[in-house]
Amino acid sequence: MATFELYRRSTIGMCLTETLDEMVSNGTLSPELAIQVLVQFDKSMTEALESQVKSKVAIKGHLHTYRFCDNVWTFILQDAVFKYEDASETVGRVKIVACDSKLLSQ
Amino acid sequence: MASSTTSAVYIHVIEDVINKVRDEFINNGGPGETVLNELQGIWEMKMMQAGVVCGPIERSSGQKQPTPGGPITPVHDLNVPYEGPEEYETPTADMLFPPTPLQTPVPTPLPGSADGSMYNIPTGSSDYPTPVTDGGGNTDAKGARPSPYMQSPSPWPNQRTPLSVDVNVAYVEGRDEVDRGPSHQPLTQDFFMMSSGKRKREDFTTQYHNGGGYIPQQDGAGDAIYEVAKAEGSKGSDFLDRRDSTTTAKSEILAHLARSSSKIPQLDGPIPDPYDDMLSTPNIYNYQGVVNEDYNVVNTPAPNDLQAATPAPVAQNDTGDDDDDEPLNEDDDDDELDDVDQGEELNTQHLVLAQFDKVTRTKSRWKCTLKDGIMHINNKDILFNKATGEFDF
Repeated sequence: MATFELYRRSTIGMCLTETLDEMVSNGTLSPELAIQVLVQFDKSMTEALESQVKSKVAIKGHLHTYRFCDNVWTFILQDAVFKYEDASETVGRVKIVACDSKLLSQ
Repeated sequence: MASSTTSAVYIHVIEDVINKVRDEFINNGGPGETVLNELQGIWEMKMMQAGVVCGPIERSSGQKQPTPGGPITPVHDLNVPYEGPEEYETPTADMLFPPTPLQTPVPTPLPGSADGSMYNIPTGSSDYPTPVTDGGGNTDAKGARPSPYMQSPSPWPNQRTPLSVDVNVAYVEGRDEVDRGPSHQPLTQDFFMMSSGKRKREDFTTQYHNGGGYIPQQDGAGDAIYEVAKAEGSKGSDFLDRRDSTTTAKSEILAHLARSSSKIPQLDGPIPDPYDDMLSTPNIYNYQGVVNEDYNVVNTPAPNDLQAATPAPVAQNDTGDDDDDEPLNEDDDDDELDDVDQGEELNTQHLVLAQFDKVTRTKSRWKCTLKDGIMHINNKDILFNKATGEFDF
């Protein structure tokens, strides 16, 4: 199953990466095993998002920058509003990185 | 700040990952379940510190925890934080400790310890091979190793052997250069040479000062001046000293140059009279000296101690000349770094990671549909199954 490494940049992914870094530099963990853990995280995170998350979000904002490179869309929004469930968040500047979902189903 | 659903999903992911890599940790000579638990402990601790996992939900209460000894694992203190947020700092400190023992052998002078034998090499003074031989002999318990380099085939110190061999090679190289030099003093100097190749240039200068030897010309025509100057005997060192000193009279400079330049074949065009004008401008001429001396100051904290031949005024000169350069460099770097940091903070503070189903544009109006996303916005982690975006460009 193909996976994205995209989610490694999320909070949970960064926490895992930092942990693995520390353990590898300690010598407690081999780099190869650390990579395996990261790959497993890619899978588990993707599966969890598909199966466990049902919420929907609406995003509006001014598109400051758009970029499509290597099948990855990058948007930088200004004054963006995120509406989800019964709440909304406003941010002055946000970056959206999105991989092509079709690549996963292949 | 973590929404309950996000926290639950994160905990599920952590458990899922841990469970699915368990085989890799236990079988095939993996590090074992203890390390796996340590990994999970640190990961969860970081998640709680980041505020994206609600501490109380913690796995130790653990509904799905199949680990036989979830919160047990007292081997490491890392699992302590499971119980309370105040103790987060403690395991962090502990996590920082493990690297320390790795480094402690460095100052250990005992040749008997296996680690010490490797790390001792750099601290050994004049005889490099000796500590290696001792350490190797003791380590292997075979006493009579013909050569320290023979350690490589030995199965015992396999992991370290390449390291020590590398170190030896590097030192042998350094030593060759030293042997060409005038005295043993560069043994310490060797260290600095290893840290930067630029030091070599500086060594040449040193050797000229001592009248030590003939160095093959490698870096252009400039050194021809040195050789001519050196041929003039003590005037050679005067020449160099003069280059280093701002206080020397201009007339002396010109006199020396007249003598030297008359014997140097002109290779790069006519001898310009303006050159004399440049010489009469102290800054330009000193600048050439600074090129060499800069490396001294940067690479060596106390160049005068290491090189007997280096005249003291050099250091003074450097500080004077470097005052012009350093502020520029340091400030530039700092400013750039600061800007980058700020920029990255701005960019990454709020981040959405997702997959796109469709992205369309009509004139300046963009619409996109995303799915399976993680948003980090206003210090909250929000997960979504679907998202629609409408942007105007």
